[in-house]
Amino acid sequence: MLRTAKPKNARSKRALDKRASKIIENGKRALFVPGSTCNKFLHDLMVDLEALKKPDSVRFQRKNEIRPFEDSSSLEFFSEKNDTSLIVVGTHSKKRPNCLTFCRMFNYQLFDMIELKVVSAKLIQDFHKRTFDVGMKPLLVFNGALFDEDPVYKHIKSLFLDFFRGQEQSLLDPSALQHVITITAEDPDPKQKNLDDENKAKSLIRFRCYLLKTETSTTPKQPRVELDEIGPRIDFAVGREQIPNPDMEKQAYKVARQVEKTKKNVEMDFMGDKLGRIHVGKQDLNELQTRKMKGLKRKYDVIDEEKAEQQDDVEYDEIDEADEAYELDGDSFTEFE
Amino acid sequence: MKTPIVEKAIPTVFDLGNLAIADSNPIVLNADSIETDLYALNRDNVQLLVNQILQLPLKRTVDSINSSNSQNSTMTLFSLPEPLWQTPREKPVPKDKAKTRWELFAAKKGIQKRAKDGKLVFDEETKKWIPKWGYNGANKKADKQWLVEYDDKNPNTDETIDPRTLPRAQRKQLVKKSLHQQKKNAKANA
Repeated sequence: MLRTAKPKNARSKRALDKRASKIIENGKRALFVPGSTCNKFLHDLMVDLEALKKPDSVRFQRKNEIRPFEDSSSLEFFSEKNDTSLIVVGTHSKKRPNCLTFCRMFNYQLFDMIELKVVSAKLIQDFHKRTFDVGMKPLLVFNGALFDEDPVYKHIKSLFLDFFRGQEQSLLDPSALQHVITITAEDPDPKQKNLDDENKAKSLIRFRCYLLKTETSTTPKQPRVELDEIGPRIDFAVGREQIPNPDMEKQAYKVARQVEKTKKNVEMDFMGDKLGRIHVGKQDLNELQTRKMKGLKRKYDVIDEEKAEQQDDVEYDEIDEADEAYELDGDSFTEFE
Repeated sequence: MKTPIVEKAIPTVFDLGNLAIADSNPIVLNADSIETDLYALNRDNVQLLVNQILQLPLKRTVDSINSSNSQNSTMTLFSLPEPLWQTPREKPVPKDKAKTRWELFAAKKGIQKRAKDGKLVFDEETKKWIPKWGYNGANKKADKQWLVEYDDKNPNTDETIDPRTLPRAQRKQLVKKSLHQQKKNAKANA
């Protein structure tokens, strides 16, 4: 752990406050670290991934002796030093070629990790296309039922969502909708259904980036969307994984009391439509409009108070007796009706 | 012109707070045409997402957001809902500030916090508004008087002390006490 000194001036206090935990958090920052075995290919890929993450990113120029799955202490140090909670480490070995390890940190401690082996890739520069503006919020697309079923793919979905979603915002400028990041996992081969989990070949994660274009369509006020691939285009194979420690997970998914909203009776259905139940109050049946006829007019009402009172008394008596009877014997209740 | 309407066998899930969509329909990618298949799949899903975003309620704002020129312009923005998919926090939820000894006591006794009624006070002699404390503050009046009233209740026993310095000493004492209490609270809540 780094030594935290008490701030001596306003500037250093502001800097410390910026790093302090907040109720509504800032967008997560990413750190790109080349491992000691990192090569040119991985370096170029990290440059491209950083381009998607800018300005919330830091990239180390020098190689570092890091093996994330063996010792995470230096990752934790880097995380605290740079105030980054996402770390991408590039390593290459004969056994595990061209690996990008995506680590997430919680409170400067390792939260979870997944190793994604780069099978094939095409860089932004090879597309020769105009790209998007820096710092725009991307549209995210997750294709594949695996992202809802398989725990490893769930992790990957959560990771990429976390990586690219940026800061939570309540307003969106239409002109900021510029690029799309799509992540696709094919359904596993049906022939493999009988195999054990270990023998199953894991589907590739296909990472694609497109520029969004809109054209006029046959329906008014609904544009036809066209895409233009700008890269990077990466195919990942899933490697090793480290899942979060349950205690830490519980802490990390805690919702601050201040943000928790008591929105009653409002829910979202599977179409993404908001449904609400409202209380309409008690209906006054006296005001109910029934069949209209002359004889039912109010002026023809027979007001006989004595009779009405008598009727009331009888009714009350019956109810009282009925209650008593019910207490003694449930069956005899029917006799009074 | 092409149609913007896309139909899916299994309805897709939208998370408009994160501008995301999840499609769990079966995926078929032919080995010869992976890229074109992927393009078609992604285009359809982005179309669905954009159609949803365009249905979001609009909000007009007058102030300029992220614009370099100082001119104000009206902007029409989409108001996004709360994110649906949760992601882990970066840092733990901040702890509430610890209560001081006085705050605890006040809560026990039901003493309500009162708002301060301003820093200025009207001076009847000069008919001016002067600060209650600080430079030329109202609490420093006794420091400069040519004649000091004799206090029956707290007689100044030590004749060598200038009675004009007494209020200042008292104020210094209060500051000292307050600092001591602050330290005590910090120690208790550490």
